[in-house]
Amino acid sequence: MDILNPIFFGFSVALQPFNLLFCFLGVLIGTLVGVLPGLGPVAAISLLLPATFHVPPVSSIIMLSGIYYGAMYGGSITSILVNIPGEAASVVTCLDGYKMAQKGRAGPALGIAAFGSFIAGTLGVIGLAFFAPPLAKVALKFGPPEYFALMVLGLTVLTFLAGGSMLKSLMMACIGVVIGNIGLDLITAQPRFTFGLDVLLDGVGLVPLVMGLFGISEVFINVEEKIGQREIFKTPLKGLLPSLKDWKQSFWPMIRGSVLGFFLGILPGGGAVISSFVSYGVEKKISKNPEEFGQGAIAGVAGPEAANNSATAGAYIPLFTLGLPSNAVMAILLGALMIYNMPPGPRLITSHPQLFWGTISSMYIGNFMLLILNLPLIGLWIRILRIPYPILFPLIILFCLIGAFSLNNNTTEIMLMLFFGVLGYLMKKFKYDGASLILAMVLGPLMDQSLRQSLLMSGGSGLIFFTRPICLAVFVMVVIIFLMPLLPLIGRMRKSVGTAEMD
Amino acid sequence: MLNSDRISSLFWLAAGIGITLLSIKYDFGNFLSPGAGFITFFAGALLSLLSLILFISSGKKRGPQSDLKALWKGLDWKKVVYILILLFIYTLVLKPLGFLIGTFLLLIFLFKVKGSYSWWKVLLLAFLITSGAFLLFQVWLKVQLPKGVLEGMI
Repeated sequence: MDILNPIFFGFSVALQPFNLLFCFLGVLIGTLVGVLPGLGPVAAISLLLPATFHVPPVSSIIMLSGIYYGAMYGGSITSILVNIPGEAASVVTCLDGYKMAQKGRAGPALGIAAFGSFIAGTLGVIGLAFFAPPLAKVALKFGPPEYFALMVLGLTVLTFLAGGSMLKSLMMACIGVVIGNIGLDLITAQPRFTFGLDVLLDGVGLVPLVMGLFGISEVFINVEEKIGQREIFKTPLKGLLPSLKDWKQSFWPMIRGSVLGFFLGILPGGGAVISSFVSYGVEKKISKNPEEFGQGAIAGVAGPEAANNSATAGAYIPLFTLGLPSNAVMAILLGALMIYNMPPGPRLITSHPQLFWGTISSMYIGNFMLLILNLPLIGLWIRILRIPYPILFPLIILFCLIGAFSLNNNTTEIMLMLFFGVLGYLMKKFKYDGASLILAMVLGPLMDQSLRQSLLMSGGSGLIFFTRPICLAVFVMVVIIFLMPLLPLIGRMRKSVGTAEMD
Repeated sequence: MLNSDRISSLFWLAAGIGITLLSIKYDFGNFLSPGAGFITFFAGALLSLLSLILFISSGKKRGPQSDLKALWKGLDWKKVVYILILLFIYTLVLKPLGFLIGTFLLLIFLFKVKGSYSWWKVLLLAFLITSGAFLLFQVWLKVQLPKGVLEGMI
């Protein structure tokens, strides 16, 4: 019963009124950004990051986490009602969710998405509580070469899953590493790539970079499009609670989706997106009536919704145990933890138990909040969906401007954000992937440090990466991943996930 | 026809070469004692190599999708330039004018970019959102927004 004590401790942290409030704010904002097209969790978290510097770190991480898993659910609302995924991870939900809505079953579709997310979130949190501490113990034995190898693996998996061209994704990873190393060198204190600008001595801030690449650039792309009014489902919503038959058809897809999502979420790179696709594929394959998929099968909503939610819990494992982010959201959380002077890694669980167990428990509470919040509030979300884009985009821009300025009360940060906004806009036009740039940017300084330490350890021999068993195994995996696109089946799968993300 | 991949690969090739050369200047060091430019040297060299591969492979791609002009075809790109100029001006005047006046003016222009709302509606919206943002960030979240010409009055 050793595992229960820390969980109880976590609940005692998460149930403190202040933390409950921040958890509630997080899931509320998360659902909102999931509903609103053009503002995802990455932009929302980076936007709110500066504002959280005034609150205790645990409350802040609880809120930022709430935004992440809240957005997963919010995204499914738009998928079902408007056939526009608010989030890349909700793309699959469009297939059957929207069809259900067209058949007058929008209520059960939304209901099962909420229940599926809740059950999966809960299972994911239990998995996190069980798997993270032992993994952290193993990770204590890792040295700089192992860390370097794992970071290379993380970037490789991300570029593999990024969709579009793997070549372009790798190029963005290179740029990310360079941007991450702008500023004073940690060892020699020599300025690198600062071009005489004092503002760059401390490096490029994650917030202006992310808000530019994901927030401002998205506005640019949407503004130049001649979009018509979104078609919103007008039939009145009734019967949000799924029937017994719906439950029978959804229960096992939810459980399978949760388990799949959790383990795929641990893998670096787009866990939530890929897990929803895999879950849909699995359910269709094992279903007795595969022809119903795409025509409004409730299992096609329940499975992927469960998968994308438990993947968010899985994504915390590499962050909390190894200090390695597996996607762009985790990269921002890593940045936040660094700012709070709580560097994530194998020692985080023992040195800051209130952060680890408090966050996990808050995720359980947050999932419960999402369930009771979303069923009665669906009417409100639909009304928000009706906000016209000409009014919405100035609001997004305003939040980005305030977010960037409030970092250091400096307009230079806004200029940096605008620069990355233009870069992000051009990257979207020319189909370059922003997620690998962000991840590489966060990992850049850590890679630099671990590579240099590894070489110092080995007396300048690169062979150190191939003589240590874990390193060797990781690099073998890297090579396999590079060769995988050559297999036709995997190449096709990459393409379908990639297209969904790009869209 | 200008191939979009060809153009972008040339840009990144130039960036890659620049990064590699600067890394040498920042001190590459050696394998026994890596310097400040060690990892960025490899990142720059790899970027150059990958860009070169993209440049060569892009030569094989033909068709309207890879055309540079097609990326902006049928789109209102002038609005992007307009917003960018507005934001640039906003950044310059934010401190002297202050958050309240600067943001109010910026929102008026932004609401007019895509919407065809009446002036009174635009003014009302800009006023409400500016004051709402001020209350939320300055009063509640204690973000120090510039007061500009209203310094001493608020």
